[in-house]
Amino acid sequence: MTRRLLFATACAAVALIASVERVQTQAAQRAPQARPAWAWKPAIPTVKAGEIDVVHVKGNVYMLVGAGPNITVSAGNDGVLMIDTGPASMSEKVLAAVRTISKAPIRYIINTNEHDLYSGGNEVIAAAGASIPFRIATDVRVSDGRLGKERANVISYVTVYHRMSAPTGQKAARSEEAWPDDTYSTPLKKLYFNDEPVMITHVPGTTDGNSIVHFRTADVISVGDLVDLTSFPYIDLAAGGSPQALIDGLQQVLDIAIPGRKSEEGTLIIPGRGRLADLPDVAYYREMVAIVRDRVQDMIKRGLTLEQAKAGRPALEFEARYGKTTGDWTTDKFIEAVYQSLKK
Amino acid sequence: MFHNARVPLLVLLLALASQPAWAQRDLTGMWRPLARNEDGSGLDGDYAGLPLNPAGRMRAQSWAPENFDVPEWVCRPHAFDFSVEAGAATMRLSAIVDDPTQKLIALHGRLSMREQETTIYMDGRPRPPDYVRHSWSGFSAGEWEGTTLVVTATHLKEDYIRRWGPMRSDDATVRIRFKRFSPEYLRATVIIYDPVYMAEPYIRTSLIWLHDPDVLMPPYPCEEATETVIERGTVPHYLPGKNLLPAQDPKVVDQFGTPYDARLGGAETMYPEYIKKLGPFPRPTNAAAGGAERGQ
Repeated sequence: MTRRLLFATACAAVALIASVERVQTQAAQRAPQARPAWAWKPAIPTVKAGEIDVVHVKGNVYMLVGAGPNITVSAGNDGVLMIDTGPASMSEKVLAAVRTISKAPIRYIINTNEHDLYSGGNEVIAAAGASIPFRIATDVRVSDGRLGKERANVISYVTVYHRMSAPTGQKAARSEEAWPDDTYSTPLKKLYFNDEPVMITHVPGTTDGNSIVHFRTADVISVGDLVDLTSFPYIDLAAGGSPQALIDGLQQVLDIAIPGRKSEEGTLIIPGRGRLADLPDVAYYREMVAIVRDRVQDMIKRGLTLEQAKAGRPALEFEARYGKTTGDWTTDKFIEAVYQSLKK
Repeated sequence: MFHNARVPLLVLLLALASQPAWAQRDLTGMWRPLARNEDGSGLDGDYAGLPLNPAGRMRAQSWAPENFDVPEWVCRPHAFDFSVEAGAATMRLSAIVDDPTQKLIALHGRLSMREQETTIYMDGRPRPPDYVRHSWSGFSAGEWEGTTLVVTATHLKEDYIRRWGPMRSDDATVRIRFKRFSPEYLRATVIIYDPVYMAEPYIRTSLIWLHDPDVLMPPYPCEEATETVIERGTVPHYLPGKNLLPAQDPKVVDQFGTPYDARLGGAETMYPEYIKKLGPFPRPTNAAAGGAERGQ
């Protein structure tokens, strides 16, 4: 029993250290890479470190930039729906930014994955919300029907809940206040919110529990870390992610998205990190993952070891754009994840 | 008599004074491209004259022609700078003017080949933040350097600079210098600053347009083809060392006998001094299959 407790504590500590490191590296990851002197570029504004900018995307939908990952917000008559909450350290600033869009109650939070970088604000932000009551709240004769205390409902695919919580007797990865309380285990969950159909789809990719959210009236898809325009994808093998699942998932996004004239704009896509995107950006990202997958697959076929595969630099042309040599998700770790997944 | 002569003079002076400043360097109108100079061997897959760095070369060498049949790319337009350089597109430049003040807000550009449009802001507005959507034409701002209009585009999507693989990245800055050096002729110089795929800036003054009010601007409707030879979800590309384009075959010769090494591109292949280095390189001997040699 004691050994099990020690093991659980050690696991939690490792997870905490890893998550802190991952959050801390966001600022560095956003920092522009050193450009050679000849590669002139005019000054382009960016969000100030530690601050959050609010971008109106389309219709009811907004994108919060600066918390680490992008956070999607739908605001309207029914209240506020958020997709992901960012790291815990940014919760108060995220809430303040949401309040510049709407003072209405936060009704729903949707977690696109379980990583702390994306869901770290669940505790604080859910507690600041209020789920939609089933009955008139002022009717003192009966309960208003809400399942728990007054907080926003947290929706996720069921495996996200499994990884945040733990079986009885084991220490959970996250406090109970962070856990999703409205999970789904089917391919699709639907909401009608702020006069808009909202489709929550299970699209495994970087984990086995990714969700994407399509706002059908605004025609905006929030895809979480299936698309990270600042980095090679963080494929979490331990959480069931794989390059093949990611490529299939990106194709699902491409199948839903319809570009406008000249093959751009139209359906807008909010990536996990990086700029607001559209279909071509996702197509290029899918291209990158597929090319690296095929090269690593070829290396495995030719009998190359992992170290030889890394030395062969199968992602060479994408390194300047997405690669990192320091931090928790380096180019080497990405190649290793692809290699290990294909070697299975 | 003297009094009468001053009236038309005054009218003329007033007319001149009321012209907006940009009218002195007006680039608006219809422009017909004149024949351009061809570069390199003309073989598909030739990167001679392009300052590719190793990453840019690898990106180019992985490109397979089937890429154009990927459903998501069927309607991908040429980038504006690509068509400016390519020399086969009709161009229309028109002014967007603030009506009450008659101040020039922007120039709107449209090119006919796989249609592309751009808006060149002339009103000094700031560039948008780095988190806004990138587009095929990016955000362009123009300013005058003497009588040359210098257009600087950022916020670009990745796109091809040749239709056989070489790309510029979404981190590139593109400058186009437009100079009208007579009532009839307009010249464009394209400069690409791309730290991701290039080793040096790529500079090309390649095109002259003739002012031609009668030239037509055809429409370019496009819809996604759902029955292309490429199955949805497929990403065609060549593995390293497996490129099948003729210029990437060391044995294939073009009409000039260009050595294979030159066809790999790189900064030094841009400069005239490189011609002297070509001497010792082995000359390929096998003729390319029919249709492999063509422009752009």
